[in-house]
Amino acid sequence: MSRGSGGGYDRHITIFSPEGRLFQVGNVSIHTSPRSFVSRENFPCFVVEYAFKAVKAAAVTSIGVRGKDSVCVVTQKKVPDKLLDQTSVTHLFPITKYLGLLATGMTADARTLVQQARNEAAEFRFRYGYEMPVDVLSKWIADKSQVYTQHAYMRPLGVVAMVLGIDDEKGAQLYKCDPAGHFYGHKATSAGLKEQEAINFLEKKMKNDPALSYDETVQTAISALQSVLQEDFKATEIEVGVVRAENPVFRVLSTEEIDEHLTAISERD
Amino acid sequence: MGDSQYSFSLTTFSPSGKLVQIEHALTAVGSGQTSLGIKASNGVVIATEKKLPSILVDEASVQKIQSLTPNIGVVYSGMGPDFRVLVRKSRKQAEQYHMLYKEQIPVTQLVRETAAVMQEFTQSGGVRPFGVSLLVAGYDDKGPQLYQVDPSGSYFSWKASAMGKNVSNAKTFLEKRYTDDVELEDAIHTAILTLKEGFEGQISGKNIEIATIGPKRIFKVLTPAEIDDYLAEVE
Repeated sequence: MSRGSGGGYDRHITIFSPEGRLFQVGNVSIHTSPRSFVSRENFPCFVVEYAFKAVKAAAVTSIGVRGKDSVCVVTQKKVPDKLLDQTSVTHLFPITKYLGLLATGMTADARTLVQQARNEAAEFRFRYGYEMPVDVLSKWIADKSQVYTQHAYMRPLGVVAMVLGIDDEKGAQLYKCDPAGHFYGHKATSAGLKEQEAINFLEKKMKNDPALSYDETVQTAISALQSVLQEDFKATEIEVGVVRAENPVFRVLSTEEIDEHLTAISERD
Repeated sequence: MGDSQYSFSLTTFSPSGKLVQIEHALTAVGSGQTSLGIKASNGVVIATEKKLPSILVDEASVQKIQSLTPNIGVVYSGMGPDFRVLVRKSRKQAEQYHMLYKEQIPVTQLVRETAAVMQEFTQSGGVRPFGVSLLVAGYDDKGPQLYQVDPSGSYFSWKASAMGKNVSNAKTFLEKRYTDDVELEDAIHTAILTLKEGFEGQISGKNIEIATIGPKRIFKVLTPAEIDDYLAEVE
């Protein structure tokens, strides 16, 4: 039996294998980069690893960048069929008026996650009387993902979620939650097919902790995507979502606004 | 817990009498980032490496050491998501005790209840063991205490212990340096030196976490600035 098939351990979807790996969620993408082997628990789960593969199989790359007082996320908008209604194809979802979620990976799993997140955020607001903060929602999503890695009866979701919002105390926040149940706050990050290349690009850009303005944030995100995928986009080929401290509502940019930024980028270069 | 379809345990005995899943869980712990704890005569210190996947990660958003009650804290080696589950359960157990007895839960009891949860997951249907070992540090009427809990649910009280990638070197180092009457401040320095031993790269307040509990019985996670001060003292 080839090594890649899990050696008989992938039938019971959440148990450990001899190398201390859980089958089905997985840090495959993390291990491939030389820099990141010291990263999280060096300790991938196959149940989890396959879920990460599913995220990559969607063949879409997403990028998120946090500026000084704004956050921008951008993703490819691949419409596989001309007959499809483009407005219904989206990976960018408002969870509340103030929180946005960019889901990279399996769209059906994304919709489940978004539905549950919306419910949870609404209940939170009702129960506690104030808006659910970004980190609390991210933790909730990550904790749910962890349950799927430990209980055999549910498979992990094939989705990496980037949550963005403006926190009352901490300002602009960008969190990323993965099928393994990990979640971190990020200055910039990426998910999907070209995740590692994008992270390498962003690390160079954000090395000196620049305090990016709103325009710089959006343009860094879009130009990172363009650079990593090595193509120049039209405004209809990408989706962009933002939150800004001066107007903390989560907003999806219109095609015209995206065009303005694309033009600014090409003029800059 | 678990669906009715999985009313059988996934952790079963091998012919040689071992619970192989637990062994694998320990392997998982052994590949985790190094953490350690030292019990001093007047307190306990716990510490861990905090290596993040990328410089893009906001290290202020990550806190590996967590408090369970005002006078008990915990650190782990292994899988972070599993750790969060245990922290949540332990906090709830501590709070339930407090509600019933109007008293802070003793360290031994909290450790025992947490360990019982971990054991449950090695025997119940449709679940896997937790991929973490915990170091629980607390100070109650019995004095300063340090416990290590393993994925099997077994726990021991330690004078000093380490877990994770660099466990053997760290333990050797601690064995040499430990004395029964060590004071908290010295213990903090020893903890830092132990972490430094196996540390890849430049150690700083941003890539390690340290927490202490002293005679005032308040569990406190040190700020990066305070850690940097201690690092300077150690130089």
